[in-house]
Order: sequence, then C-alpha cells, then structure tokens
Amino acid sequence: MKNMKLINLIFAISLLALSQAALASMKVTVNGMVCSFCAQGIEKSLLKLDETKAVLVDLKNKVVIVEAKEGKTLNEKLIKEEITDSGYDVVSIETISQTVAQFKERMKGKK
Amino acid sequence: MKPTLLFKFVFFVMMGFVTQLSAAPLGYKNSWMVMGDFSKTYQELSVNYSTTANDAFGVSVSAMQTNDSVTKQQNAEAVYTRKVARWNLPNAQANIWFIGGLGSITGNTFGGSKAMASPGLQVDYETTRFYSMASARVYAAQGATSNITTARLGASFYEVDYDQPQPWIVVEAKRMTFVSNQYEFTPMLRVIHNRYFVEAGANLSGQLRFNFMYNY
Repeated sequence: MKNMKLINLIFAISLLALSQAALASMKVTVNGMVCSFCAQGIEKSLLKLDETKAVLVDLKNKVVIVEAKEGKTLNEKLIKEEITDSGYDVVSIETISQTVAQFKERMKGKK
Repeated sequence: MKPTLLFKFVFFVMMGFVTQLSAAPLGYKNSWMVMGDFSKTYQELSVNYSTTANDAFGVSVSAMQTNDSVTKQQNAEAVYTRKVARWNLPNAQANIWFIGGLGSITGNTFGGSKAMASPGLQVDYETTRFYSMASARVYAAQGATSNITTARLGASFYEVDYDQPQPWIVVEAKRMTFVSNQYEFTPMLRVIHNRYFVEAGANLSGQLRFNFMYNY
C-alpha cells in the first residue's frame, strides 16, 4: 500500500514536470533587431515551425519569446537557425516558464 | 566588427559617399516586397521576391522628367538585389546592399529603345531611434547615362513595441543628374508598422513626394 502511494506520487510529479517542460517557452536574445518592418521575418519563420504556438518580438529589449504548443518541445537549434537565416545574430537562448501572454503582461507592468 | 571599423563605417555613411532607396530593399525569405517612389521628377514602381534573406529578384518600371517636363525617360528592368554584408549589433544594424538592373530605356530625346544596365550600392546604419543611408545608382545606356545619388538621415520620435506604428522624421538629399546636378532636399514624415512603410513630404520647391514599401 505504501509502495503504491509512492508510485502514484512519483507518477504525479513526473506528469507535472513533463507538462511544465512541454509548456516552456524560449527567450532568445537577438542582435540587429531595430524595427518591426525588418524583424517580421523572424516572427514569420518561427511561427512556421510545427511546435510553435506563439511568438513575441520585443524590440526594446532585443528578445524574441517563442512559446511551444501543448505537448510539443521547442528545438533550440532550429530556432537559432531560423533567426540566423532571417539575417540576425543569436546572442543567447534560455528556457523560461512564461507564456507569450505572461511575458507581455510582465512587460506592460514594467512600463 | 571592431569599434574603429564601425566608426569608419558610420562616418562613411554619414558623409554620403555612396548613396539611393529607403529601408531594407528586400523582405524576409520567401516574401514579396512592393515599393513605390513618386514625385514630380521621378516615379518608380517595383516588386521583388526574396529567395533568401540575402537575395531578391524583381522587376521595376520608372520614369524621370526634368522640372520643366521637357525631357523625359522611361526605364523598364529586371532587378537583382543582394545583401552584401550585415553587421548585427546589440542596438543597431548596418548593411551594404548591391542593386543591379538590366533592361531598356525609352525617351523623347532619342528614337526607339536602348539597352540599359543600372548597378548601384546602398549602405545604411540604423538603431531603433536613428537612421542613416547613402546610395548611388548609375543608369547606363549608350548616349543616355545618368545617375542618382541619395543620402538620408532620420530620427524617430520614440521607441515602440513590435506591434505599434513608429513615426519618423527623415531628411533626404537626392541628386538625379537626368533632372539637375543640384541636390534636392526633402523632409518627410515616415511611418513604419509591421508590413508597411510609408513616407510623405515635399522638397524645398514645394514638390510633393510619396514613398511606400509593403512586405508580405
């Protein structure tokens, strides 16, 4: 009985961790983004990726947020390639737990 | 890119050593760009398709006329645009572009049409609040060669988010030898928003000017 409880707990924690990982977004710091007219290629190319749910280009902070679809995992290498192919330089990529909407809200709060 | 090289590059642009056009003359990979430039002495409509982020192929039709409307010329050409180099900086972007056309010209100072080649270079440097550009393009045809040199400086009123329109003030110095050897100065209001880019103004003689770019 005790063992069953433990297995259930581990299973629940694993599920939670998996769902968090699947919902993770990537925050990409990009050099060279100066206007929406020239940076729209980044948005278009990242939205074409099968695993992408939403993209946010933040010109002021020079970052691009890529949010994964539920159950999908973002491919860091592919994201970097798409941004580089669009003509920009990727400085860093990190995984964040925020969605695009949450990141937008946070940015609004900072203004 | 070393800071000294960057400084030289910016200085080069600011001096207007080479000079034409507006923002990036091509769109993102697999996109179409439609561009227009309309004034009393010059009208151009062009469209290109970007096969990569560095290359675009298109066509252009343009017409030039002198201020008194006596001498006129029309150009029709296939145009290749190439991003020769780009420097991506934390808060800026600098580019060198090649723009080359092959086509024909007609005019009212000669009969029939003539073969024409129009090689050109553009350099630009911009941040989210500052813009500079210089370009030069030769329209070479037997007995009817002219060139256009342009320098531009611009500043935006404020920084914006990606999904907001951004207004700019741009001042252009342009010389079209077909029209005159004098530089023509035109202050313009520019608005950039996602897919489009429009500019409107008037030169110091009061002649109206309108430019646009649309990327899709």
